[in-house]
Parts: sequence; C-alpha cells; structure tokens
Amino acid sequence: MKHEPGNVIVGAMMVPMGLFGLLIASRAMDSEMALFGASLTAFAAIFGFSLIKRHYDQLDAAKQEHAEHG
Amino acid sequence: MVDLAMTAGTAAMSRPAALHAPVDYNEEVVRKFMIASMFWAIIAFTVGLYLALELTWPDFNLGYSFTNFGRLRPVHTSAAIFAFGGSMLFGTGMHVVQRTCRARLFGGTALANFVFWGYQFFIVMAALSYVMGFSQSREYAEPEWHLDLWLTVIWVLFGVIFVGTLLKRQEPHIYVANWFYLAFIITVAVLHIGNNLAVPVSFFGAKSYSAFSGVQDAMIQWWYGHNAVGFFLTAGFLGMMYYFIPKAADRPIFSYRLSIVHFWSLIFLYIWAGPHHLHYTSLPDWTQTLGMAFSIMLWMPSWGGMINGLMTLSGAWDKLRTNPGLRFSVTAVGFYGMATFEGPVMSIRTVNSLSHYTDWGIGHVHSGALGWVAFICFGAMYYLIPVLWKREAMYSQRLMSWHYWIATLGIVFYISALWVSGIMQGLMWRAYDSFGFLQYSFVESVVAVHPYYIIRMIGGLFFLAGAIMMAFNMFMTIRGPAARPAGLPAGALMAGE
Repeated sequence: MKHEPGNVIVGAMMVPMGLFGLLIASRAMDSEMALFGASLTAFAAIFGFSLIKRHYDQLDAAKQEHAEHG
Repeated sequence: MVDLAMTAGTAAMSRPAALHAPVDYNEEVVRKFMIASMFWAIIAFTVGLYLALELTWPDFNLGYSFTNFGRLRPVHTSAAIFAFGGSMLFGTGMHVVQRTCRARLFGGTALANFVFWGYQFFIVMAALSYVMGFSQSREYAEPEWHLDLWLTVIWVLFGVIFVGTLLKRQEPHIYVANWFYLAFIITVAVLHIGNNLAVPVSFFGAKSYSAFSGVQDAMIQWWYGHNAVGFFLTAGFLGMMYYFIPKAADRPIFSYRLSIVHFWSLIFLYIWAGPHHLHYTSLPDWTQTLGMAFSIMLWMPSWGGMINGLMTLSGAWDKLRTNPGLRFSVTAVGFYGMATFEGPVMSIRTVNSLSHYTDWGIGHVHSGALGWVAFICFGAMYYLIPVLWKREAMYSQRLMSWHYWIATLGIVFYISALWVSGIMQGLMWRAYDSFGFLQYSFVESVVAVHPYYIIRMIGGLFFLAGAIMMAFNMFMTIRGPAARPAGLPAGALMAGE
C-alpha cells in the first residue's frame, strides 16, 4: 500500500474546518450563514471519516493481496 | 522558442510508448468529475427549460419566492457554467495534465478528492443561497463573500495540483492544452478575487457591500464578466479542443506553431474587451472605444484557433460519419467560430445600440454556451467515458447520433428564434412615428416576441432530451462489462503523450 503524506495533512485540516463551521452556525445572523456553517461542519466530518474509511479499506485490500500472493 | 517547442513535441510524439514505465494515473477523481458534470448538465438544462416556460407563460412563476425567475436564473447560469462546465474543466484538466506530463496528480489522492467534493459543496451552497434570496447581484458572480472565499480556497488548491503536476512531469515539453488550462486557472483566480472584493456587514452575516462604487463598480464587474467568458468559457475549453480533437481524430494538431500564436494573442487581447458591455453608459468614451477595438481584434486569434481545430481533421473527415463524438467536437469548433464572429460584430457601438438589452444577447450567449461549450464537453465525454471505465466504446452509437442531431436542432431553434425576437425588439424600441413619438409601447414588444419564446422553449426541450439520452448512454456504458485491454487508447500518441 502506498502512503501519501498529503492525505494526513488534508485529513488534519478537517478538524479546524469542522469547528469553524460550528462557530459560524452558532453565531449566524441570518439563515444563509446558519446553513453554511452547519453544512461546513457536516462536510468536514463526512470527508474526514471517508478518509479514515479509505485508509482502512486500502489496508484490508493490501492484507488480502498479501495473503493471496504470499 | 516555438521551433524548440515543436521539436520537443515531435520528439515526445515519436518516442515509442513502450519505453516509458507505466504511470499510476489518478483516474478516480476524473471519473467523479465526469459523473458530476453529467448530473449538473441535466440540472442546468432542466432549470433553463423551466425558466423558458416562465418567460413564455409567467404563471409558471407559481407565486413562490423560490420559483421566481429572479432567483432561479442564477441557479441556471451557475449550474451551466460553473457546475457542468466547471466540473468538465476540472476533470479534463486533471486528465490532460497527467497524460501529457506522464505524471500522477501532485498532492495525493485526498487533496484531489477534497478539490472535487469542495467544488461540489460550493455549487450546492451557491444554488441554495440563490433560492433563499441571497445574492450580491453581480452577474455570474452572485454568491456572497463567504462562498467566494470558499471557492478561492478550492481554486488555489486546484492550481497547486495542476502546477505541481506540471513541475514533476516526465516529458520535457509542456503540451499546448496545458497552457490553455493554466491560463484558465490563473486568470479566473485573479478575476474572481478582484471582482468579489467586498466588505461584509458582519463576520457572521451573509450580506456584504462591494469595495467599488458607481461606474468603477460596473467596469470591474464587466472586466470580470467578459473575461469569465474569455478565460472560463473559452481558454479552458480550447485546452479541451487541443487535446480531445487530435485524440478522437487520431491526427496531430494541424499547426502546433499556430496553436502557440493562438494562445498568446488570445490571452493578450481578451483581457481588454470588457468595456464593450458598457456602451452608452457613464463609462468614459475612450474606454468604450478601447473595449470595442480589442473585441474586433479578438476575431483574428479566435478564427486562427478555429481553423487549427478544424484543419486537424485533414485526411480524417470521413471519421465524422462514423464517430458521433468527434462530430460533436468539430461542430463545437464551428459554433466557436460563429460565436466569435458574432461577438465582435455586437461589440461595435452602433450595432450594440440595436442589440443591447434585447434577446439577441441571450441568443448569442447560447450559441456559445450550447454550441461551443456544451458540444466540446459532449465530444470530450464521449471520448473519455470508455477510456476512464476501460470500455471498448460507448453503449450505443445510435443514441450518440440521436443526441447529436436533436441537440443541434435544439440550438438552431433556440438561436434563430432569439435572433428574430432580439432584432425585432431592438427595432420596435427605437421606432418613431411621424410626430416624433415612440411608435410602440414596451408591452407591445413583449407581446410580439411571445411566439419566439415558445420556439426557444422547444429548442431547450430538444437540448435537454439529448442530454438525457447521453446520461442513459453513459450509465449503460459504465454498467457494461470492461472490455478495453490495458494500455494506451487509440490516438494516444497524438496529443502530446
């Protein structure tokens, strides 16, 4: 399995992005900013978890390939 | 320098592919962009059709704020330009730069995926903000400041991926398509940031006010607006033309030297043409004349590029009979030539006095948007889908042909109806009777154009029907069995690879 350092950096960026979304949603002055903030948090959470899932899927695939081909 | 570039390009093309180590291209993100682009095309054309219905029969506004023409219009334009066209430009840009540089995308898989999902997030957020009634009222730049900032982040990251891939290329020469994509990325970033400079009312509120005022504000807006046409809807798609037409035709570009001349002259001239949108306004007269003069000069590089695209078919014209995808690309170049002739004509002040504020402008925009942009996208997609999903060919050639003819007919209906209605409007608005009074009231001109609005709506319906056929064809191709053997597709050596 090939490790890409960029994946870790992008994944780490999701944490401040999600928190920033929460801040905007909590103090929003209008419906547009409330929607944007909440959506930004949801985006960061889903994208972050999808990166984690992809990582473990690749590990599983590498293990399976190793088992099949030695 | 051009000779050196040509030599390098020729050397790259003559080198046997087998000598290169295989590169693990990131095709996953390109596939995602293709699917997104198809999806947004259907949305954009559907909303466009609904707006045509509203214009023909205003009862279709339904009385709700969110179905009002004013709110749905930016949904249509943004879906067509940024969602459909933009997704195609991002996707094909990432494909072309990898293939012509023989390098995997810079920055890793997660960064490419972030750019994809981040861009889709921007599109959805922008569309929701329009229907909720939030807009900064700048044409083609309606999203408020927070969405502009988000798009800036995504755009810069796309630029980092593109330039990073260019820098780690294994080919000595940078193929001309990449120059067009690069101009698109850099200039649109500058335009977007410049035009959207604004002061928010609050950090936690969506409302903002432009940093400019009066005629300067109008000038900045149309510096952006016309160059959005020049660098988003032209330069990027010319990059597509210079890669996908040689690929599909299995022929090298007619003249590589002409492509370089085309690039630099287009880039130099386009940026000055914006003031032609502000004829007969409070913009200084010399500025209007400058915009008009540069618009007329633009005709030459535009037609140079068109000739280069068309002549690439030399010796391969017979392929138009058997390859509907290539037919789309070549027809797109024809429409590009037509729209880039009509544009300079309309920019002449005296012509503009007749055409401005009429349906002629909308017809002109659609001959470019449907005939050039959408058709060059369809041609590229019909080439790319089998390549990306490792299929022998598209599911149905007959459906491709049907798509071509119904879409072409749709465009002809659309633009000819709006030529007639636009020129008629212009003539009615300026007609005086023998006593010096206006001959027609405004509402008489509205009634007069009604039949042409019905024809326009039918044209839009045809175009949407063609896109639905394409979506079905795409779905069936992806669902079908993988048949293409590993290795380079047909025409692989033709466009800088």
